[in-house]
Amino acid sequence: MARIHVVTDTGSDLPEKIRQELNIHVVPLSIQFGDEIYRDGIDLSVAEFYQRLQNDDELPSTCQPSPADFQAKYLEIAEPGDTILSIHLSSRLSGTYQSSVIAGTMVAEEGIKVINIDTKSASIGIGLIAVEAARLIRAGIALEEILEKLNYAISEMQVFFVVDTLEYLRRNGRIGNAQALLGTLLNIKPILTLQDGVVSPLEKIRGKGRAIKRLKELAGQVRAKYPDKDLSVGLTHAMVPNEAEQLALALKEELALTDDVILGMIGPTIGVHVGMGTMALLLHPKM
Amino acid sequence: MEVITGSVLKNMLLHAGALLAQQKDMVNSLNVFPVPDGDTGTNMSLTLNAALKEIEKVEPDNIGQLVSALARGSLMGARGNSGVILSQYFRGFAEGLADVTTEATAEDLARALRKSSETTYRAVMKPVEGTMLTVGREAAAAAAAAAEEGATAQQVLYAAYQAAAQAVQDSPKHLPVLKEAGVVDAGGQGLLCIFEGFVHGIEGKPLEYSALDVQPTAVVEKQEGITRIEGELVNKYCTEFLILGTKLDPDYVRSSLEPKGESMLVVGDERVVKVHIHTDHPGEVLEFCGALGNLTDIKIDNMQLQNEKYTEEHQHDFGSMSAPQGERKNIGLVAVVPGKGLADIFMSLGVDVIVPGGQTMNPSTEDLLRAVESVNADAVIILPNNKNVIFSANQVRELSDKPIGVVATRSIPQGITALMYYEPEASLEHNLEAMEEHKSEVKTGEVTYAVRATVAGDLQIEERDIIGLVEGKIAVVGQSTADVTRRLVESMVDEDSSVISIYYGEDQDAAEAEALYEELCEQYADCEIEIYSGGQPLYYYIVSVE
Repeated sequence: MARIHVVTDTGSDLPEKIRQELNIHVVPLSIQFGDEIYRDGIDLSVAEFYQRLQNDDELPSTCQPSPADFQAKYLEIAEPGDTILSIHLSSRLSGTYQSSVIAGTMVAEEGIKVINIDTKSASIGIGLIAVEAARLIRAGIALEEILEKLNYAISEMQVFFVVDTLEYLRRNGRIGNAQALLGTLLNIKPILTLQDGVVSPLEKIRGKGRAIKRLKELAGQVRAKYPDKDLSVGLTHAMVPNEAEQLALALKEELALTDDVILGMIGPTIGVHVGMGTMALLLHPKM
Repeated sequence: MEVITGSVLKNMLLHAGALLAQQKDMVNSLNVFPVPDGDTGTNMSLTLNAALKEIEKVEPDNIGQLVSALARGSLMGARGNSGVILSQYFRGFAEGLADVTTEATAEDLARALRKSSETTYRAVMKPVEGTMLTVGREAAAAAAAAAEEGATAQQVLYAAYQAAAQAVQDSPKHLPVLKEAGVVDAGGQGLLCIFEGFVHGIEGKPLEYSALDVQPTAVVEKQEGITRIEGELVNKYCTEFLILGTKLDPDYVRSSLEPKGESMLVVGDERVVKVHIHTDHPGEVLEFCGALGNLTDIKIDNMQLQNEKYTEEHQHDFGSMSAPQGERKNIGLVAVVPGKGLADIFMSLGVDVIVPGGQTMNPSTEDLLRAVESVNADAVIILPNNKNVIFSANQVRELSDKPIGVVATRSIPQGITALMYYEPEASLEHNLEAMEEHKSEVKTGEVTYAVRATVAGDLQIEERDIIGLVEGKIAVVGQSTADVTRRLVESMVDEDSSVISIYYGEDQDAAEAEALYEELCEQYADCEIEIYSGGQPLYYYIVSVE
């Protein structure tokens, strides 16, 4: 019987436990420190990565998976007649989606149908869509309906993230110089969002504690916007596990969630762009 | 004297300016709070001086024209709250005498004083009795009564003066804070000085002292650099002159000159129009306006050369600062900030032009207007950062061609907090709403010294004591800045507090400030504590808690 598979990339920051539980496959992006190339999550652990990010003078770069990487993964998991939902980083932030589209055409002749999904998001925003997809597949929902629900989740996805410094976003060209320079004299924690898949500043808050509190308020606003819907919530962090766990627990209660908040670590793929100390809150109403 | 002629009125005003300039320090000392920024006298005096300069430009024969210059000059020169109220007082005075040409009768004078008072009451949102407003109102009532009984103009003025003096004496009855501090109202006293000067003038006393010799030195010098611009300047000739005529139309002049330059300011009436414009074609501007009337007081400066000279001379000086002018912005920001360190912080938060000042020197409406006009933006938001600057900032709204918004920030911390909500891409309305809504999320503390002994609530304060204020009210008194600051912070921090920021002033030893910082870090382990060199004068520390 034809099956539906879920593939994502390491930009999704999904904890391994959840990936295994829901049978979500992952294709790694690569991280390049000088001449050394590592595959995210395979050759390089998160802790090692941040240590090098802090200590190395040179900023590492990320490299999208090649179409061949995707092709290999697709052929490994699927049989002719199967369908793959390949769920990825915002196409405006990375070429990963593009690679997956090319790979999709390559495996089409094998009878494998790849549906490429541009989440227009990053980190656990991709992860939430992948989890939603896997759960709907498991519940036996028809493909058409799954896609409809995923599209709704993507269009309603809310993204809020706090960085310790705008330096990494600036050096990677994800945010303009002028914006990055704002407030560098004071201890200002910018809250950012993704708008149409592009990083965009939302608010400036003084102090990390207040910024985290503000994340909670923003989540509350989303709750109020969708009073009748269940929310799917993901929270990722770059080496600040205590703050993240506390916030995740508080959110579950305050937002009256059915499911737990999916708590993940921001891996190298995203970490290169945001730096240590970042916390990202992503949530969407379920259709 | 039965009636007042134009030259007598002019003499009255000159006497008023002279007397106020002489007594401004006395008026300054009447500040309710013993903090070293009591500058009501200075502000009123500078405002009146600006008006007198304008008067010098018109013929005194025509009273209507004279008082119109008085109103215009004081409006542009208005500094601080007291200066703004005074400018409104003169505006009413001018309205009352608008149709008078050669002689003002007792009735005319009484009517002008009534209009003056009415205008000041309209200008403030919540009129408070026991202030300059009351003094003006009592003077007007006495003048009206005298005029009704058939008094001469001179007798009407005496009546007004005596009533004003009585009202000043009575001001502590209305305002308990005055009674507690043992002073009369400073603004009221300032207005009384003006009435006293009027009396000297009407009596024809010789003028021994010219108020016009007193210059607001510090600020005016600093304004030189207000449009410090990097690189080649477009519209580099700052062109200023007056057009004298009979049927001038300021609106027509404004719309005709608009395409010829920028930072344009055209104010005036049928008889005098003042033009200020930055242009590359000063000749064309003069040619055009010369056809409308007689040109006078022509002044053309090359700002490019001035700017280069300024930059050379003031590389490390703290004057007005402005960001390099790039593309035209949607919304620009002007902030009134004391001290180099604080100016840098405000610039780093996106402020385009800093107007130096605040507690020690309130910038005039004209200073703010110039700053606003120099910003390359479609609309401008002003952050006054001082309760005494808010009023003059509001006046800029009426004077500028650009849409202007004022966020009523009363302190440096409020200004910084408001800037957290500044969104360059959003609309003026959206920005104003967000900044206004959030500006009070922060608590402000200030540490300075007492300029005189006083009692504030339960606190006995001696001259030179160190005092700590929370939201402008004295909360802590002591002998050392460290001790007072420590106790001040303690009174401000509660369980919701998470960020404490300390900005130390130019008179504060940096090592001592660092030591205090270390101490606070230990004591408030749950809070993030930050320390910056603010460089502000007179205030050893400005503290914000949020």
